[in-house]
Parts: sequence; C-alpha cells; structure tokens
Amino acid sequence: MSPEGLDNELVEAARAGSTAAFARLVERHQAPLRAFLRRTCGNWAQADDLAQETFLAAWSAIGKLESGASVRAWLCGIGYNKHLSATRSAGRSRAREASYEAHRPASARPLSDERLALEAALAELPPDQRACVALCLAADFSHAEAAQALGLPLGTVKSHVTRGRTRLLQVLGGSDDGS
Amino acid sequence: MTEADARLKTLFAEDEPPVRDPAFSTAVMAEVARRRFVADVGLLAVVAAAGGFVLWAAWPALSPLLTTTSAGLVPVMACLTLAVTAVAVLDGRLVPGGFRNHD
Repeated sequence: MSPEGLDNELVEAARAGSTAAFARLVERHQAPLRAFLRRTCGNWAQADDLAQETFLAAWSAIGKLESGASVRAWLCGIGYNKHLSATRSAGRSRAREASYEAHRPASARPLSDERLALEAALAELPPDQRACVALCLAADFSHAEAAQALGLPLGTVKSHVTRGRTRLLQVLGGSDDGS
Repeated sequence: MTEADARLKTLFAEDEPPVRDPAFSTAVMAEVARRRFVADVGLLAVVAAAGGFVLWAAWPALSPLLTTTSAGLVPVMACLTLAVTAVAVLDGRLVPGGFRNHD
C-alpha cells in the first residue's frame, strides 16, 4: 500500500475515534513535521513544543481534513500557523531570534561550518520565504503542496523558493547556475 | 535535482530528528488521552446533571406512580439485575484477555 493510502486509512480510523490509528499517524509524521518547524522557527525546543501542539490540534480537527488530502501538508500548515501565532504573541520582539543559538540544544553530532552558515542564512530569511525553503528544498514538497500547506499562492511559493535558494547558495559560496 | 540542490539537501539532513522517536510520540498520545479523559468526564457530568434535573422536575409525577407499582416491580427488577450481571460476567470471560479495551 502507498504511504498516502495508508495515511488515508489511518485518518479514517482516527476519525472513527481510534487513538491507535492516530498514534500511527504521529509516529509516521513526527520527524518531517519537527524538521520543518526546526527550520522554520530555529529554536529546537520551541519547535518540538509546537509539533506537539500541532498534533493535539490535528486530533481535535481531524474530522475537517478532506478525504485524500495530504496529511503531511495539513500538519505542516497547522504547525506553521501555530509558529506564526507564537511569534506574534512572543512580545513581537526579535529576542527569540537573537537568543536562537543560546537556546538551541546541542546536536547529537557537531555541525559543520557550512551547516552553521546555512542556519544563519536561513534565520535571516523572511518567515514565509523560510517556510517555503524548508518545505520545498529540504523536505521535497512540490510547490503546489507547499502552497496548500502554507496557504500561499503558487506563484508566491515559487518566487520564495527561488529567492531563498539563491540567498542560501550565495552564503554557502556555491554557484546558482543549476549545474 | 542540481548539484547545488543536492548540497543544500545534504546540509539540511545533517540534524534531522529521528525517524522514530517513542518519547515524543508517547508524550503526544499521553496528552491526547488526558484531553479525551477530560472531555469524557465533562460530557458525563453534563449528562448526569441533565438527568438529575429531569428526575427532579418529574419527581412529583413519578413519586405516586412508583409508590403504587413498586411492590409489583421488585421481582422483575431483581431478575433483570441478575440477568445483566450474568451477561456482564460471561461476556468478560468469553473475550480473550478478560475485558475489552477501548481500541
């Protein structure tokens, strides 16, 4: 069975009240959702909190998910909205951005200089652009799927990805010639 | 995929969360169970309060009716109680593992 087919079956069972089915959905989608939120908000601990809140919101709203819709896009959309709400309610300040490195838990292995440069460049991108880059360049979302998840027009997603990609490659000192 | 995109993807993949994370999944499901329990308790409280209110409102009409019929109802209720108890006990024994869970 395809991953999408399995997701649809699990969603139907979760709609019928099966917590076991929902647990399988959590297990299947926690890694991509947490990775997306880490890249979007920069703070790992906050990203994991947001991911947990996202799954709880998904449990409450699973009846509203259209049949056949992409579960990962739906979850990333909820997570992104929660991230935006959290950013707005965090005093509308840049303090979180400034303390990003200070709050970040140590990675299991030391990050390369390139990786650190990438994260710094990512943190400088506007939120929408960063989310588009996180979905399309890091998580293999199609532009259409990212547009659906983030609630943005398709053209906007494409231009965000192009600009974000160019900026990241500039920082990494690579060429953007498509080679 | 271009070489540049592959390079970006490799860098992004350096600190991916684990594909399986039982601690995270368990924390989420524990919170789901807690919320479900609170919702169930809330629903039961509302139903119990509504039932109590209906009983209180209907009591003036029910009271004389019960008084007149109670003597005849006692054996019927006793038989029904025994039957329900027997069904519950046998059902529990027939299901593997004793009692059914909710899932």
